[in-house]
Amino acid sequence: MFKALKEKLFSVRQRLETTIEEQKLDSDLTIHSAPSQGSPEPSALSESPAPTPPPRESEREKKAPGFAQKVVSLVRDREFIIAAKDIEDSLSDLEIGLLESDVAFSATDAILTRVREDLTGSKRKIGTSVDAVITNALSDALLSVLGEGVNILDFIASREKPVKILFTGVNGTGKTTSVAKVAHYLTNHGLTVAIGAGDTFRAGAIEQIDVHGERLGLKVIQHQEGSDPSAVLFDTVQYAKAHNIDIVLGDTAGRFHNRVNLMNQLAKIRRVIQPDLIVYVDEAVAGNDAVIRAEEFSKSVGMDAVMLTKVDMDPKGGAAISIAHAVGKPLIFIGTGQGYDDIMPFEPKAIVADLLAGEA
Amino acid sequence: MLGNLGTNLKDALKKLAGKTVIDRVAVEELVKDLQRALLQADVNVKQVMQLSQTIKKRSLEEEPPKGVTAREHVLKIVYEELVHLVGGKVDVQLGRQTILMAGLQGSGKTTTTAKIARYFKKKGLRVGVICADTFRPGAYTQIKTLCDRVQVNCFGNPKETDARKIVAEGLQHLKDEVIIVDTQGRHALEDELIQEIIDLNEMTHATHRWLVLDAALGQQAREQARRFHEAVQIDGVIITKMDGTAKGGGALSAVSETGSGIVFIGAGETIEDLEWFDPDSFISRLLGMGDLKALAEKVQESIKEDDIDVNAMLSGKFTLRDMYKQLEAVNKMGPLKQVLSMLPLGGMEVPAEAVDVTSVKMERYRIIMDSMTSTELDDPAVLNGSRVQRIAMGAGATLEEVRELIKYYKMMKRTFKNLKGGEKGMQRLMKKFGRFS
Repeated sequence: MFKALKEKLFSVRQRLETTIEEQKLDSDLTIHSAPSQGSPEPSALSESPAPTPPPRESEREKKAPGFAQKVVSLVRDREFIIAAKDIEDSLSDLEIGLLESDVAFSATDAILTRVREDLTGSKRKIGTSVDAVITNALSDALLSVLGEGVNILDFIASREKPVKILFTGVNGTGKTTSVAKVAHYLTNHGLTVAIGAGDTFRAGAIEQIDVHGERLGLKVIQHQEGSDPSAVLFDTVQYAKAHNIDIVLGDTAGRFHNRVNLMNQLAKIRRVIQPDLIVYVDEAVAGNDAVIRAEEFSKSVGMDAVMLTKVDMDPKGGAAISIAHAVGKPLIFIGTGQGYDDIMPFEPKAIVADLLAGEA
Repeated sequence: MLGNLGTNLKDALKKLAGKTVIDRVAVEELVKDLQRALLQADVNVKQVMQLSQTIKKRSLEEEPPKGVTAREHVLKIVYEELVHLVGGKVDVQLGRQTILMAGLQGSGKTTTTAKIARYFKKKGLRVGVICADTFRPGAYTQIKTLCDRVQVNCFGNPKETDARKIVAEGLQHLKDEVIIVDTQGRHALEDELIQEIIDLNEMTHATHRWLVLDAALGQQAREQARRFHEAVQIDGVIITKMDGTAKGGGALSAVSETGSGIVFIGAGETIEDLEWFDPDSFISRLLGMGDLKALAEKVQESIKEDDIDVNAMLSGKFTLRDMYKQLEAVNKMGPLKQVLSMLPLGGMEVPAEAVDVTSVKMERYRIIMDSMTSTELDDPAVLNGSRVQRIAMGAGATLEEVRELIKYYKMMKRTFKNLKGGEKGMQRLMKKFGRFS
């Protein structure tokens, strides 16, 4: 995942680095040099930026209080200022890179603004690595968008049984397959699962989830095609209570957020079964619309977490960033293929670190 | 269905219309707005850059022909380049043919297969469908159910795991004029599945290989289309789920990548929701120039002669009876919003409340109107307090509901009246190109 974005980020980072290096050289030679120290020493440093990995490590760890304040606090003896115009070219590269990776327009704007604010006008101590400054700015920006992440197993353990998880989303994003995968994932972690075949609209949907249930050895509660999904899911919850089952996974029919009636139906399901967790499922290949529909779903029926499917199709994964930015909810899983095992918990920190780690 | 892309493009052009001088600055601003609109619609980034460069270059370098102002000329260039972007018109022949459906998982291949089967069936051809999706559980049940609904032959075997075998048997078994092969969803990085579709293409000697793409598809569309095209030479694209808020820009990029055109557009969950695609109309609608041709077709297809008189409506003679018929027709014709998008509104704003009436409400209105007399329906002006009370009692509705209906009627009437007077600004400009003369 994120391979292309990684390459892009790397090249942008390099460009930013060069720009800032040049700027630094200039500043050494001219006005920004602080009078208290001689210029030969910093010049020498700036010409050989490579041997500074240790400060970078420590900086990364201290990332928490936010880049801007941290830099300010570090600045004591020597500093120089990064001006907006010095990095504008690189930022426009970054913009194209994000857009090409399917990061939606609004999310791209947010990331750029953040990086720009962090970098421009920030004062940097000459001794620190340029690389660290940029890495931190980008990493902060991305993390601020992706959020903290959540551990599904911890969440389940903290809830009363049966834990009810409802899957929603537009048509064709892979809800039913995701339900099967999550069921498989949870049973592998020693939990018992029952599935409610809540997609009563699409022809063949009940058969589809039924076959999954059979293959995974799980109980699937189903009614006829065209019946009320709330009733199906209610029955599933009752079944789980009676049989002491840990988790109920509720599948639903795909629906577009601009269909008032269908959204009302979803609201009814929500009222009837009172889910502990609403998982919104969307696909990695979606473009700008990902933002619009995530916002609409979030507004009308709410969502607590996001699952991104078909990541194997689009390894750029920009949709993850778009959706997270739009609704501010954590991504819990990504789906990476057609098999039951093709599912991965999503950890923003690891992903961002990977994105920004060295060469692509 | 075109949502914001249309609005954004229209805004960009409106801005241009308001400019006194069309100079480099004005053109650059226009191009920037266009870029934004297209990028937000998921059109491929590289393509957007290319397109905007062309528009800029042509606008600044080309000398407008005699009698055409610089502004009109720029508009014309934008129009032409956008039409160019959506590709040529694909003619659907009505004859013996085999169609191979290809696409990513969850793009709507099976639903679209059924819709196309219905399309050909309606045109009087015998149609057979082969279900070559051997992977997804329930796929056969799905297509079988849909085929039964439109009374089309369907061949498949949920127990068989070899798609090639099913297709070979199906080709022997089905003797229909139009054979549609629905395949399993796959993406370009799955080599085995790509090989499978290459084999299926050879086996069936398919006349057409149509790529089904989700309107929400983003930047990845172009790459996926390229790989599919390399494998089986895609000769048409079908954009699905255009009833959501997605703009289909990714699919447009796929079209230009494959050098094909858009054949159909899927815009709804029921089996009738399939539109034949005409690039000219599409762009016209996009730019708010209206698509009278499509509206006429739609009206003809879904409404019996005495049902609705569009001309009378536009001339401001809009009675409650018209509204009643309209509400009835709405079910057949699709939502009012969609219908309105076909009218040449130019930059005109239609009040959102006029189109945002849910189907439940429509049904209530219909029931209330059932309790009205002919006089009241033909001349709503006679409605007074006592009449309103009688209607409310008759329909089992509250007084507020009846009043709300009347309010809604008045707003609709005003809207339609305005439509007629809405030919201003850009609309007049476009007329000069002879588009609607």
